[in-house]
Amino acid sequence: MNVLGMKTLLAKEVRRFMRVPGQTVLSPLISTTLYFIVFGVSMSSRVQTVEGLPYLHFIVPGLVFLGIANNAFLNSSSSLFITKIQGTVVDLLVAPLGPGELMAGFIGGAMVRGLVVGLLTWAVATFFTGFSLEHAGVAVYFLVLSSYVFSVLGLLAAVWAEKFEQINFFPTFVMLPLTFLGGVFYSVRELPAPWNTVSLFNPMVYMVEGLRYGMLGRSIYSPLGGGSILFAVAVVATALTYAVLRSGYKMKA
Amino acid sequence: MSAPALELQGLSKRYGEFTALHTVDLTIRPGEIFALLGPNGAGKTTMIGSVCGLVKKSSGSIRVFGKDLDQDPVGPRYDIGLVPQEINFDPFFTVAESLRIQLGFYGRPADEARIDEVLTALNLHAKKDAYTRALSGGMKRRLLIAKALVHKPRLVFLDEPTAGVDVELRRDLWTYVRKLASEGTTIVLTTHYLEEAEELADRVGIINEGRLLMVEEKATLLRRFGERRVIITFEQPQPGLSEAGKRFAARLSEDGRTLTYVERDGCAPSGELLRALYAEGQLISDVETRRSRMEDVLIEILRGRPQQAA
Repeated sequence: MNVLGMKTLLAKEVRRFMRVPGQTVLSPLISTTLYFIVFGVSMSSRVQTVEGLPYLHFIVPGLVFLGIANNAFLNSSSSLFITKIQGTVVDLLVAPLGPGELMAGFIGGAMVRGLVVGLLTWAVATFFTGFSLEHAGVAVYFLVLSSYVFSVLGLLAAVWAEKFEQINFFPTFVMLPLTFLGGVFYSVRELPAPWNTVSLFNPMVYMVEGLRYGMLGRSIYSPLGGGSILFAVAVVATALTYAVLRSGYKMKA
Repeated sequence: MSAPALELQGLSKRYGEFTALHTVDLTIRPGEIFALLGPNGAGKTTMIGSVCGLVKKSSGSIRVFGKDLDQDPVGPRYDIGLVPQEINFDPFFTVAESLRIQLGFYGRPADEARIDEVLTALNLHAKKDAYTRALSGGMKRRLLIAKALVHKPRLVFLDEPTAGVDVELRRDLWTYVRKLASEGTTIVLTTHYLEEAEELADRVGIINEGRLLMVEEKATLLRRFGERRVIITFEQPQPGLSEAGKRFAARLSEDGRTLTYVERDGCAPSGELLRALYAEGQLISDVETRRSRMEDVLIEILRGRPQQAA
């Protein structure tokens, strides 16, 4: 195990996104905060409570999740993809870095960015709602595992993608709709049929609800279900990414 | 006896119907400078890529200092350095940071003395703290070389390292390559500048259409395939080819002033022709010799003379 190689890649990934903090941290933080102000502040005058929670409080966990998921995914996907495009992937392939070291480096860096944006979003939200952490263990589980899962998925997308269009496919056509339809801004239980049933097949619902339980102490579904789904996705995505990197698929000629 | 630096046995690479490498067998000795020559698309980069983890081989085996890459695909890479053909750089980092990262990838802690040494040797020290995106093309090439060498690999692949660079860098690199080889580093070099191979290599391999046509000591190759043209200028124009000229199959110029003799391995030495001409009483004003270079040898072999070497 090349521990120093792995640490070097992780540190490089963190330094890479910290070199352009306006683009990698500030910009997503502003976007998520705008969601909070536009949806939360404006809607809260008309929607008093959702699932027994003040609307402004209700949307905080979903927005934190949104910040984590988007930024974790974007970091690992863009970093590896650009490495492929600019040719510096040669440095990684020639060096004694196995699939485990590559995954740890890229995923670790992406998790840091996802968590930084997510936690800063949470910090901004506390100005409006005050601080609330009902089940710290559950919240940490969902925060950390969400950032992990989307970092792995980003890495997988970067291995697969050959064009910029392809790298944008997953966040635009999969993540964004699933997240917006995943109960960030509303309770899926209050959706009319058949959409309330359709929502049951959206894994994002359980992740958002799990984080909501950890932060606010209330959720529609048991955090155990969401936690299990997240864990299962993490295991499958990890195994798949390891196998893909080991095979050299779309990385080696 | 130490294991070969590199041992390829039956190495093949196929892309669908196209075969880029045909069962290549090759052994590189530790500490030697080996030049791999061939035209574009001959398979040089594919062969190097197979060893360096950039290309998935179709069949055959690769051993680096005795370690089989099938059994341990990662461990032997600590000993490998590669200067790739295409220039690449990470614009987020400075020259020094890039080298520190490279050291880390190879499991080595940051070593400022080593970084300074490599940058100085490649005349890049003044740019140590410059961002890589601010470097000129030649400087980016120097950085690629520095990155390949900073972790002190025992086996270095230079894939056309001086393509498109100025004479100064070429000379700097040659000097550094000789120094590395004298310290025991094994160098595998591909180049289009045959002067480079002639200048540096101990042995030469010639590859074409994925087949390794021959591997020979450079001196032997030049001797066997090379030729020496001896151009003799007479004081007075000759009316025709003399008996000595005919016996040595020399060629007289149209104006009768110069006699050209092509001396190949196995032919009579040119000194014998000169003695014969003196014996005939020919008055010679000048003798010029021109040795064929690696370029001529390569062209000869690619045109189908390898059978003569067998």
